[in-house]
Amino acid sequence: MARMKFICDAERCIECNGCVTACKNEHDVPWGVNRRRVVTLNDGIVGAERSISVACMHCSDAPCQAVCPVNCFYKTEDGVVLHDKDLCIGCGYCFYACPFGAPQFPQAGAFGLRGKMDKCTFCAGGPEKDSSKAEYEKYGRNRLSEGKLPACAEMCSTKALLAGDGDVLSDIYRERVMRRGRGGDLWGHATAYGRPDAKAATPAAQPAPQKS
Amino acid sequence: MKKLTSSIVGCSALFVFAGCGEQPQTIAAKPGQSAAKVDDKPFGPGTQFADRRAWEVQLKARAENQNEYKRVN
Repeated sequence: MARMKFICDAERCIECNGCVTACKNEHDVPWGVNRRRVVTLNDGIVGAERSISVACMHCSDAPCQAVCPVNCFYKTEDGVVLHDKDLCIGCGYCFYACPFGAPQFPQAGAFGLRGKMDKCTFCAGGPEKDSSKAEYEKYGRNRLSEGKLPACAEMCSTKALLAGDGDVLSDIYRERVMRRGRGGDLWGHATAYGRPDAKAATPAAQPAPQKS
Repeated sequence: MKKLTSSIVGCSALFVFAGCGEQPQTIAAKPGQSAAKVDDKPFGPGTQFADRRAWEVQLKARAENQNEYKRVN
């Protein structure tokens, strides 16, 4: 049995926001709702900047599921955490419980009235007939039932964001680390922008052209 | 006097039993049990995949394709 997970390689993420755009486009996510977003740490500090793509991490022991007063959450056999929008009352408890800020609430009316919660579905739709219009309108496209992985990961140009069975992802990441070394030693920010000790190896500056 | 007494009794009865007609408004959610509708499985009759095995093979192939070391080399 598969256990669906995301993993984001901070050494590879270039903050292109391709995953965010892919998700928005794939599911027609409304304005103000961000199922996925890219978070950058140490923004602007050369050598220390790292970006990571964040969405629902489909926790094995999901806190959103634990705090929901109407028990609208459920977990599929493959570990994808989904919810039933017909039951959601938009209380926002899941938003406070989630360590990743995954639950999103569209503005449903004037004075900041909250709508039903919306979050990443691992492109697995929701509790409606697979690939039906109702499922698309409530939860977005169901790629998993088509044998495809989430659009964000498949769209990632540097393959920083990986999705799929946890065991397969572990194998890919392990091989990647074994080949490139730890951190950014062989692949990533340091390779692209130079290591701090690379100044000694830098060729001397060209002499200024003489005036004739 | 009788009318007054009966009207007082009637009003007080109305007041006392007013709460009896109230419908319960509590949610029937039970802790640890999901109240969500049953979701379709991505495999089986009427889907692209005959059984779970076929679906998992497809997803595994797709996931392994994310490894460019294997894809390119």
